[in-house]
Amino acid sequence: MVDKGFRIKVLRKFVHLPYTYQFLLPILVFLHSKENPAYRIWVRFLLNTFREAYAHRKPVVWANSFLPSEIHYGLDVIPVLPEIISALVTYLGWSERPISKADTRISTDLCTFYRCALGLALENFLPRPDLLLSSSQLCDGANKFFSTMGQLYQCPHLLLDPPYSNHPRSHRYMEEQIEDLLKQASQILSLPFKKDRFSLVLNRSNQARQWIDKINQLRQSIPSPFPGSEGLSYLSGMNFYSVGSIWSIPFFSLLHQEIEKKVSSKKGYLPKEKYRLLWLHHVRPYYKNEIFNILSSKDAAVSFEEANYLYWPFHDSSQPWKSLAEKILSNVWAGPIERRMKAIDEMIRSYSIHGVIHFSHWGCRQSCGGAAIIGDYLKQKGIPYLTLPGDCADPNNYSPGQTRTRLEAFIEMME
Amino acid sequence: MDKGIYVGLDIGSISSEALLLSDERILSYSIIATGPNPHRASRECLKEALSKGGVSEESILRVVATGYGRISVPFKTREVTEITCHARGSHFLFPRTRTVIDIGGQDSKVITLDERGKVTDFVMNDKCAAGTGRFLEVMARALEVELSKMGERALKAKKGVSITSMCTVFAESEVISLIAEGLEVEEILRGLHESIARRIFRMARRLRVRGEITISGGVAKNEGIVEALKSLFGMEINIPNEPQIVGALGAALLAREMS
Ligand SMILES: Nc1ncnc2c1ncn2[C@@H]1O[C@H](COP(=O)(O)OP(=O)(O)OP(=O)(O)O)[C@@H](O)[C@H]1O
Ligand code: SF4
Ligand SMILES: [Mg+2]
Repeated sequence: MVDKGFRIKVLRKFVHLPYTYQFLLPILVFLHSKENPAYRIWVRFLLNTFREAYAHRKPVVWANSFLPSEIHYGLDVIPVLPEIISALVTYLGWSERPISKADTRISTDLCTFYRCALGLALENFLPRPDLLLSSSQLCDGANKFFSTMGQLYQCPHLLLDPPYSNHPRSHRYMEEQIEDLLKQASQILSLPFKKDRFSLVLNRSNQARQWIDKINQLRQSIPSPFPGSEGLSYLSGMNFYSVGSIWSIPFFSLLHQEIEKKVSSKKGYLPKEKYRLLWLHHVRPYYKNEIFNILSSKDAAVSFEEANYLYWPFHDSSQPWKSLAEKILSNVWAGPIERRMKAIDEMIRSYSIHGVIHFSHWGCRQSCGGAAIIGDYLKQKGIPYLTLPGDCADPNNYSPGQTRTRLEAFIEMME
Repeated sequence: MDKGIYVGLDIGSISSEALLLSDERILSYSIIATGPNPHRASRECLKEALSKGGVSEESILRVVATGYGRISVPFKTREVTEITCHARGSHFLFPRTRTVIDIGGQDSKVITLDERGKVTDFVMNDKCAAGTGRFLEVMARALEVELSKMGERALKAKKGVSITSMCTVFAESEVISLIAEGLEVEEILRGLHESIARRIFRMARRLRVRGEITISGGVAKNEGIVEALKSLFGMEINIPNEPQIVGALGAALLAREMS
């Protein structure tokens, strides 16, 4: 029998080889030939990004998902988003080992997306960063994780610290911070600082935004044309990772085409749709679980997810720093909770929602913190509401019986 | 010939109940330990209830299964969660019930309902067993007290010692060290019961508790918990004659109502 340490060594070798991704590309594209073309672009996008990150011909920047992705493409670097890597690793069923590895270094109260990424970093599975960029907005786990990574890789770390309020003063402050950060990043990475490149990327982002908006409008149709479980996987993945890249426009336009076909043939993703649900919090469990099957078996569709809510306005590409500041400060998940509630109200109306599920991911103050206030607000308005506690990356924290009871009782409540 | 009957089956983590209902009244019920095989438990408790009621299997019209083992019941007409069933059963026994506290072996739940017995909201404990029947069972064993006597004995102490751990494993070792320190078993028991009741009370406060409260599930047989809850809520609490069959009763009522 081959010993485990040896297998890990071989696996690590493969993960670090850029050819692995080149080799995997045609295989995965073939395996997914029945999937919609947009999904295939997601696969290509990921494999291409990983290939470039391990080949390291361009600077590799690690960043958190709440930093606008336009920043990476404007800087012309290869972005690595640890949370998304953790979600993928979880999806592949490999998250337990890195999570337990991380537990030797960091508190088990930290979000498992970061614990998983930390474990992967400790075992040297991730592409080496040249720079770490993170935003303190929303996610307090990010700061702890990125500063640990700074120590581990002996690598510079730049932090964006968006203010809480959306006041005009905050915008000016944010604009300056962004310009400063980008100049510093260019210097550290020895890249020319090109404002024009940012304008180009923002134009691309605007085009993608148009398609996202159209997709979101189509998803208001009854029956629901597109499953929420996928809205919380590759669709939100592309929303956080790709906007501003060359991949984003073909992805969103093809997905739009796909959904449009479903809508015009009046085909829902479920054979029968009795309830339309809204999913709050930007993630879901990515290991094998029954959540969406249970809902489907009760004819309950997850019609839309807060994760794909379009909160930012079109960019003014002639003023990139101002536009990026605007995108960051208009984020409805940050700042006063009233703003998030207003957005939720709008989603409930536009998507003809019957009930709301708030997934509360353990260790995530962003998602757990507001759950009760939002719950009280919705219940007052007579909208059935369920807080579903759980963990998105650690399958050991999934309790099938309790999850089933919670979900089924929630549906019975709506009957 | 028998008239048609409706069956409610509650296959819980610890106990399984079957209850037979005719158009007029409760005919019979049975309570058995679930054991490792919920499928077999569902057959056995049904068999026992049928023989107690003197009715044959052929007269069964519909079966509603509930409890965590509901998915393993082979002969059900429908599955309904224990949340809906405990609400329905409690409302039948005490029609003014607007809040139900169900404390079973592995779960504790607080449910609010409307005047028709329909669930309006609920909360449930998280994954761990703190604040549930299983926790009490472990403590009874650690203190060498009979489960059915532990509540009564807890009430004998004037004051409870404070128990800081709520994790079953830590609480067990805390309790053992308290005995070693020479504390009275009754005082320790009282402290344990009070801390569980406080946990349930805090959970209930996440909902809008109104109207009468009814307690169901096996832990409702524990006077220590019931008394502690009464004093925390500052009101009387309805206790069914047989709290363990409330879920099965709700399920049988739902079976009867189905068209
Ligand atoms: N006579 C008794 N006196 C005191 N407590 C009792 C008695 N009988 C049962 N219990 C308590 O009731 C618990 C079991 O409750 P119940 O039968 O409602 O559980 P269950 O429905 O199987 O569990 P769950 O609903 O969590 O799956 C036991 O763990 C024990 O603590
Ligand atoms: S789930 Fe919460 S803690 Fe984890 S990455 Fe997302 S915002 Fe941060
Ligand atoms: Mg029970």
